[in-house]
Amino acid sequence: MRNYILYGLGAAAALLIARDINVIAGLPREASQGAIFKIIFFHVPMAMTAMLCSFVALIGSVMFLLTKNFKYDALAVSVTEVGLAFLAANLVTGSIWGRVIWGIWWAWDARLTSALVCWLLYAGYLALRNAIEEPTQRATFAAVFSIFAFIDVPIVIFSIKWWRTQHPAPVFWGGGSIPGAWAAVAGWNWLAMVLLGTVLIAIRLRQEDSQREIDSLRRMAHAL
Amino acid sequence: MHFLTHTLLLAQAAPDADAIAREIARLQHNYEFLSYGLMAAWIIMAIYVLMMVSREHKLKGEIARLRTMLEEKPRA
Repeated sequence: MRNYILYGLGAAAALLIARDINVIAGLPREASQGAIFKIIFFHVPMAMTAMLCSFVALIGSVMFLLTKNFKYDALAVSVTEVGLAFLAANLVTGSIWGRVIWGIWWAWDARLTSALVCWLLYAGYLALRNAIEEPTQRATFAAVFSIFAFIDVPIVIFSIKWWRTQHPAPVFWGGGSIPGAWAAVAGWNWLAMVLLGTVLIAIRLRQEDSQREIDSLRRMAHAL
Repeated sequence: MHFLTHTLLLAQAAPDADAIAREIARLQHNYEFLSYGLMAAWIIMAIYVLMMVSREHKLKGEIARLRTMLEEKPRA
């Protein structure tokens, strides 16, 4: 049953992404930026999916510390890993957009720097997990680190409101002037990214189950 | 005189060949970078999926190895 739900979600994500690519290809070029503007329809939804993942990781980490239930630890590591992939794609697409519009690949402004720091923090979270053998200690240290890493997330989100940055001010759902139909396209693409992320997280959660099975089999092997 | 005025006006209104070539180059550059961006985003996601597939194989292999070991140990 769970397999069918997963396949259904995967198919829905693939269909929605194909439909969105078709719709985005048919949109007119933006007046001042030209065709490169269309990258925003992937850049922004990927960032929003990554931020959503970091929020779920925070909830999973807090719940693990409160309950010591390993299913929350599994959730935290799964969403962190998937969120990291989305954030990497977001940083790369943003950099390519910046090369065309600003003439530079990177600017050390508040938004870009805080987003890079966010990526490095969550990569550090995964590195920390690999460095600790004992499962309870690993999960506890990782949960504390994840809560600490989340401090950077509001800075990433609000940096374009708090400081004057090279990065544009919020275009979608932030008072920017964009046609409603374009915002709707970005919204649909966000839904597609969330569906894709959900499928990847579900697969990753299964791998965590397998990892726990391996841990228990190893304990049994040692006991014999 | 009339003809000269018309010619001057036309020259001002119609973009020269250089301007057209520059605009075409700008559009091509734009589309080229758009395709790089989209490719890069999906390549990152594809690499992550491949890493997951590889991990899945490793986990399944490890579970099978440990089960075989546990089945053989009591007999030994």
